Amino acid sequence: MRKFLLSCLAIIISLLFGALILWLMGKDPIAAYTNLLQGSGLMHKARYAGRQSMFTDFMSFIDAMTPMIFASLSVAIALKGGFFNIGVSGQMMAAGFVAHMLSLAVPSKILVIVAGIIAGAVLGALMGWLKYKFNVNEVVTSIMFNSIIMYLVTFYINTFYINPVSRQSKSIIDTARLTLSGYRWENLKVDIALAFPLAVAVALLLQWFLERTTYGYEIKAVGLSPKAAQYAGMNVNRISLLTMTISGALGGLAGVAYFCGYLASIQPGTTPSMGFDAIAVSLLGGNNPAGCVLASFLITIISKGSIYMSSRQHIEPEIASLITAFILTFAACSAVLSRKGKK
Amino acid sequence: MAEPIVEMRHITKRFPGIVANDDVSLSVNRGEIFAVLGENGAGKSTLVSMLFGMYEPDEGEIYVRGKLEHINSPRYATQLSIGMVHQEFRLVSNYTVTENIILGLEPEKKLFGLFPYVDIKKANHDIAELSERYKLKINPEDVIENLNVASRQRVEILKMLYREAEILIFDEPTAVLTPQEIESFLQIIEGLRGSGKTIILITHKLNEIKAVADRCAILNRGKLIDILDVPSTSTDEMARLMVGHEVSFTTPKTPAKFGDTVLKAENMSVKNPSGYEAVKSVSFSIHSGEVFAVAGVSGNGQNELADAIAGLVSCSGGRITLNGRDITNASVRDRIEAGAAYIPEDRHNVGLVLDFTLRDNFPLRRYYSDKFSRKGVLNDAAFNEYGRHLQENYDIRSGQGMATITRSMSGGNQQKAIIAREIDMKTPLIIFMQPTRGLDIGAVMNVRKQIIAERDRGAAVLLISLDLDEIMDCADTIAVIYNGSISKIAPAGELTVDDIGLYMMGVGKTA
Ligand SMILES: Nc1ncnc2c1ncn2[C@@H]1O[C@H](COP(=O)(O)OP(=O)(O)OP(=O)(O)O)[C@@H](O)[C@H]1O
Ligand SMILES: [Mg+2]
Repeated sequence: MRKFLLSCLAIIISLLFGALILWLMGKDPIAAYTNLLQGSGLMHKARYAGRQSMFTDFMSFIDAMTPMIFASLSVAIALKGGFFNIGVSGQMMAAGFVAHMLSLAVPSKILVIVAGIIAGAVLGALMGWLKYKFNVNEVVTSIMFNSIIMYLVTFYINTFYINPVSRQSKSIIDTARLTLSGYRWENLKVDIALAFPLAVAVALLLQWFLERTTYGYEIKAVGLSPKAAQYAGMNVNRISLLTMTISGALGGLAGVAYFCGYLASIQPGTTPSMGFDAIAVSLLGGNNPAGCVLASFLITIISKGSIYMSSRQHIEPEIASLITAFILTFAACSAVLSRKGKK
Repeated sequence: MAEPIVEMRHITKRFPGIVANDDVSLSVNRGEIFAVLGENGAGKSTLVSMLFGMYEPDEGEIYVRGKLEHINSPRYATQLSIGMVHQEFRLVSNYTVTENIILGLEPEKKLFGLFPYVDIKKANHDIAELSERYKLKINPEDVIENLNVASRQRVEILKMLYREAEILIFDEPTAVLTPQEIESFLQIIEGLRGSGKTIILITHKLNEIKAVADRCAILNRGKLIDILDVPSTSTDEMARLMVGHEVSFTTPKTPAKFGDTVLKAENMSVKNPSGYEAVKSVSFSIHSGEVFAVAGVSGNGQNELADAIAGLVSCSGGRITLNGRDITNASVRDRIEAGAAYIPEDRHNVGLVLDFTLRDNFPLRRYYSDKFSRKGVLNDAAFNEYGRHLQENYDIRSGQGMATITRSMSGGNQQKAIIAREIDMKTPLIIFMQPTRGLDIGAVMNVRKQIIAERDRGAAVLLISLDLDEIMDCADTIAVIYNGSISKIAPAGELTVDDIGLYMMGVGKTA
């Protein structure tokens, strides 16, 4: 409860900060924030283009939120188990890339999902293994892996898999894509995120897993006190490996939901910032799976709505990233605060 | 001369589900040793924490040197020259002794008169001097994580002395010290009183209060019962007031009936993390129905011995058998299954997951068993049921029952929770490492009774304690450990306290 209030506080303070900056720039913060909601399909816009409505906006908002849920869950479970997985970006990119490649041979949505899970899990497991075998800090391996993967994928795309017009990778074939793009619904064209129900189901499953299963009990014990876990007869190394494997698998799911769903292609030369935003989302959600879904909803309003906001208010969309960064900072502070309250 | 330096008026402090201090008023005079006595969870730590600015009272006022103060942070308390040594240590484990002590007060020098840097040489020197002066043996350059509990306590005391505090608060400072160290500690605080400092001392040991304190406040379930003039009150009287009824100081015990050998150690050796052989080729065996007590000065290999038998560290040589089965290389889990219960010394980092609820800590070593989980799914009902069972049977007090986060419980009640959990497994072997550390006398007597009861049930008990009274009270067989070797093993009746003392100092061998 206390955690929940602190999270709310973090959001409110960040929004106020954001408002202050907007105001200093001579913009109307209320109008800007209204635009965020409108851009996310949560409020009516004044006008809509043909075949669009608030509903289509909302559906593409859901589409953008889906990978964020997976990504934040990935961070959350790692934190529960005592790891700081800032390698979600790399896991996403690797998983997206592997899925793209496989879909060239066998175009299937199921295969894309499975490939994403496996690619991510392998990376996560590798990080966990390096940690316990050589005691390399996972933060360091995460950062290194992010770079290595980004350059490898970039190199491959630029050499063999580029769409020369968009300067992105080629697009994934529709039969394998996790988003039904431009689906005709009555007289509308909507994007349907097929992985969204999966994301919600995975969050619920994870909640149950952490609270009600022996594995969950072990992961939490190892995360909170490795020495006590050892005393309890737990195999700390095996459990850490399991944690990182699950975390990686979730990162992989985020990757395919992003690169083979919300987007159809991979942009070379950069890692998705979602991997980092996911840290904010997870902290905001109290590292709790249900909390992650809620927090993803909020953060996606900011990131998704910012495009519409920037077009209406002539503000750079980076202001949204700034607000997200504020939230990350405050959420991290409140994580410390809530601990302090307990002595 | 009775000039109050600290006055607490009508202090009330509430925590969720509990009133930790209920309308407590007392005043401490300049230059006295003021003791605070009370059962586990009576609110002693809470009361003094408010003086040190860790908590603020919900109601009531605190006056320091006659002036109303709102002590809202330890920093401010330090400004008022109030210092405190906590019940559980607060040291940075990968810093050296000196670095810990000077943290926040680093003596600065300027390189080329420009760049500030910490003059660690001078600090090391100062601290060596300080430790010399107060006879608190420490090497300023040692890293905290390599020190045993007793040395860490010394660092905490030095830290406060380094800050030149005038009002010194000690929360159970002697719980971890050896009898010799307690002796010199008591001399130290008497010396400090002599030089005009005021001391507030929480302890469960009545003879310490009797030895040094001028007055003693007694708390019971948050309420102030009385403030006694120590010289004119007997320890029995103090105990009676504290617990609320007569306490017996002896543990009733029938002669032991030894059964088969349960635990057998043959030439067992253990290396500590830095590669030093902490246990050197030790051999002994413990029978069913026997309390085998290991006496010794802290840091002579007791921890490593216990950890190695429980499986937390591996042996570098020798063999351990439990009920005839070789467990030398068995995992911790295998040993739990084979029947080794273990109450470890470090209750905070090892014995409990502090951020778990009490309920979740109870089955910590058995959560995987059929009783608590089925096909990998935890059995909530069994967790609740078991928690209720233990809490009722072992008098474990906590603010919000089983849902209490273990971290917020009083130190003594945390310890009781570990003991309850381990005893309740009804295993053939129970290792008690310093089991009564931090417990109030009522609880101490209870635990000793339980140790005997476990023995009578047929368990083999390995009791490792720094407290000779405890050893004399409970042991059937006494072993003395010195510098990693067992220097003497004898039936309890054959050794006097003085004999043991000599063996503990390593001189018994030649005698
Ligand atoms: N931060 C906290 N949050 C919630 N409850 C607390 C907190 N600190 C203490 N309590 C509760 O207040 C009561 C008094 O605790 P306190 O630590 O003062 O006891 P104590 O007299 O020092 O006991 P002990 O001898 O075992 O150390 C206990 O019931 C404890 O559970
Ligand atoms: Mg206490």
